[in-house]
Amino acid sequence: MQSQSPTHEFFAARPSQTWKRYPRLLGRLGMFTLIRELSLRGNFLVKVAVEVLWLGILLAFYETVFARTTMVASWPKQDYLFFVGCFFAINGVLETLFLENCNEFSNLVRTGDLDFLLLKPIDEQFLITCRRVDWSVSPNIIMGFCVMAVSLWNKGWEFDALRVGLFAMTFTCGVAIAYSFMLVLTSFSVWLVRNQSLMEMWWLFSSLARYPREIFQRGWANSLDVVFTYILPILLVVNVPSRVMVKTIEPKMVGFIMVVTVVSLATSRWFFQRALRSYRSASS
Amino acid sequence: MTTALKPDHDVEYELQSPNWSSIWRKYYRVWRVSIAERMTYRADFLLGTFLRMLPMVTTILLWQAIYEGSGENILAGFKYREMIAYLLLVHISRMFSSMPGLAAGISRDIREGTLKKYLIQPLDLLGYLISYRAAHKVTYIVMAALPYGIIFYLCRFYFDGIPSASICAAYLLSLILSFLIGFYFEAAVGMVGFWFLDVTSILYIVITLNYFTSGQMLPIDLLPPFWAGFLKALPFQYMAYFPAVVYLGKVQGNELIWGLALEAFWALFFAWLARYLYRRGLRHYGAYGG
Amino acid sequence: MMSVEECATFRASTDHTVPNHDSEALTVKMPPIIEVDHISKNYSVFRKKEGFKGAVQGLFKREYNTVEAVKDISFSIESGEFVAFLGPNGAGKTTTLKMLSGLIYPSQGTAKVLGYVPWERQDQYRRQFSLVMGQKNQLWWDLPASDSFELHREIYNIPKQQFQQTLGELIELLGVKDLTRQAVRELSLGERMKMELIAALLHRPRLLLLDEPTIGLDVVAQVTIQKCLREYHERNKVTVLLTSHYMRDVEALCRRVLVIARGKLIYDGELSGIRDKFGQEKILKIEFQADEPPPDLSQYGLVGTIEGPTVELRVERPKVAEVLSNILARHTIADVSVQDPPLEQLIARVFEEGGTGE
Repeated sequence: MQSQSPTHEFFAARPSQTWKRYPRLLGRLGMFTLIRELSLRGNFLVKVAVEVLWLGILLAFYETVFARTTMVASWPKQDYLFFVGCFFAINGVLETLFLENCNEFSNLVRTGDLDFLLLKPIDEQFLITCRRVDWSVSPNIIMGFCVMAVSLWNKGWEFDALRVGLFAMTFTCGVAIAYSFMLVLTSFSVWLVRNQSLMEMWWLFSSLARYPREIFQRGWANSLDVVFTYILPILLVVNVPSRVMVKTIEPKMVGFIMVVTVVSLATSRWFFQRALRSYRSASS
Repeated sequence: MTTALKPDHDVEYELQSPNWSSIWRKYYRVWRVSIAERMTYRADFLLGTFLRMLPMVTTILLWQAIYEGSGENILAGFKYREMIAYLLLVHISRMFSSMPGLAAGISRDIREGTLKKYLIQPLDLLGYLISYRAAHKVTYIVMAALPYGIIFYLCRFYFDGIPSASICAAYLLSLILSFLIGFYFEAAVGMVGFWFLDVTSILYIVITLNYFTSGQMLPIDLLPPFWAGFLKALPFQYMAYFPAVVYLGKVQGNELIWGLALEAFWALFFAWLARYLYRRGLRHYGAYGG
Repeated sequence: MMSVEECATFRASTDHTVPNHDSEALTVKMPPIIEVDHISKNYSVFRKKEGFKGAVQGLFKREYNTVEAVKDISFSIESGEFVAFLGPNGAGKTTTLKMLSGLIYPSQGTAKVLGYVPWERQDQYRRQFSLVMGQKNQLWWDLPASDSFELHREIYNIPKQQFQQTLGELIELLGVKDLTRQAVRELSLGERMKMELIAALLHRPRLLLLDEPTIGLDVVAQVTIQKCLREYHERNKVTVLLTSHYMRDVEALCRRVLVIARGKLIYDGELSGIRDKFGQEKILKIEFQADEPPPDLSQYGLVGTIEGPTVELRVERPKVAEVLSNILARHTIADVSVQDPPLEQLIARVFEEGGTGE
């Protein structure tokens, strides 16, 4: 029987290895979750049906409102439709990749199974937030993009590579900012007893993000506009990518969202590590 | 020599035939435990209640934008202030008619076999559940009274004062009937679990649809006439829309009486349905050994 | 794990002050794998008040108790040892183990494991040890174990060939060849534990930490796990730390034992030494022919439980022969056995007597 080879030193952190590892790991995790979900096919289809219904309801609301008006907060009908599609797609990305895992975090804390994840030689934030991929919500992303495509078609939009590029980038930034908020909310599970709060606060978050920023730009609501754009920049998430695509491009906003993305990712990571520290010092 | 011990009257399941005082005591205990349970989750309860109101702010602002964009003062018979008042009142209706976890809990009990005890013991599932829910609702309303009160006070400009005594009475009646409809409807859905194992999928669909059809997103009147008429014939409107418009005085006189009567009918219907499904289900359950 | 000779050669090649064939070089001491120095752990527990009134008070003011889970423990463990942590429930064994895995910070004291400070949780450190907890599952529930193993391979970055080889060896060692394709939730508790062990050993850790690995398993499964652990340890010379309150685990696997009770380390040494040090008594289980045991047994020793005609009698070891012969002479006996008191009892009594020990 051969003795153990000193592989540990050999496979010490080689930077190139690290960068390839995480996407590969994510791919594998995604595959496993897909297999699992497809084995429960009925359930999967029902969940997709519910999401389709939900989009239907959002569109019904939209149609009902625009049957009686031509403009909401200086967003005409098709632009607003694009906004709705953008929101649905971003929400789809977040729910597919992260929401389920963040939800489960409080269970992990409660049962102590979080320990197992902390033992692995892999970044805990990655493992905890990316463990499962919720494939049943993934059609939302496609549906969101379809709605956006339809609205652009209705507008008679001409292809503009710059806009598309900026949209792709700001879309990613929006997802990253929303992810950071989700991470901070998740971290609170370490201190709060019940899981309910995470879902509720996520609902609150998404209810703020789902409307054009202009509705805040009046009278007393202006302070809210400032708070939720510059301090807790939830309003940037859907607004900036949508504006980039269907309204005039504002370089300041684009630059701003990039800065905010970096800052929020760093801050949320720091906060999450604090929460883990706290969990570990309270553990027994 | 052992002394005979006095029987402890606080025993939950009494083996003698139930009389009123024992039933009352039973349900009173359930009520007290529910309050204690609620108090335990203080931080996120208080926080959650306040934060739940924040979407109201966006709703108020959104509708302001909608009204401005339309250039009109009245949409489907609702002035802007009435619209906001409506959306606030819908929260109150939902406080009464929403039954989180009811159907899921019933179907879980069925699936896991814990329902067996209802076959053996003189405890009525529906009776137990409704008193449990009533207790929770009372505690919830009491605890939410302060934050809701503050919010309604801040929004008092959207209301035209407090309506007449008869309207208030009708409103209260509609809320209680709304509670019954909400409870028995979801209980009936849960009872389907006796025949179909996976009720939760049906439930998700029902709840998602209900969000729109009960008028929580916008007043049913805003929809095109065909759809508005259709939805008003369904029982779902009573879970949010109807009590709100009663309070706003949009339903008066004969219409009001008919509306309440219809609401009572639906409450009785679902009460009957739930109980019927329960009896049939238990028989089915017992026959198959659970 | 390098043998002493390899180590000496290695050192000699890099450190020219160490003479090559000197007898000293062959007895070069590797630093202990685990060094724990005066470690303590306290934490606060919210004191819940009873009843309705208490719950309301809890809304406004909270009182905390401090629990001392681990009090000033020091020990060191050499590479290749197989050591058991013994102690009653809540003694602090799991807490100590968690501190060694870096999951918990100590309130005081230092420790070094494999040359690292555990609670700094460096990736390099985490690659080199494994923690297995009894009755806790870290494999994916709905998937076959082999998928979880693949995932492990990714996470620990094990090269493919080494992975295949190690996996094959472990499957053979634990005898689970046909089970790896089954979903983990379909396996029995014992089989699941075996899969857990495989997962823990796939990356060839240098240190294996086991927290009550055989708890809840039936006897057959327990014995199998014990055998596998022993064989793996002999083959690969891993250092193993095992916590248990099952005497059989400990007897089957370890020679060195650390006894922890109420957070304190009260004994550190050979297993046989425990009995010598603490076990001054034997338990005589006597079944009398008559329906009831005679009432005057207390003259021989401490009378324990009485079940019908059977009596448990505690007698000091030197007096066992004398007591037995006396009883046999006076009464008719159906059955007799002489046992050691259960270890938990020993330890519990040791602590009750204010166990100083070492």
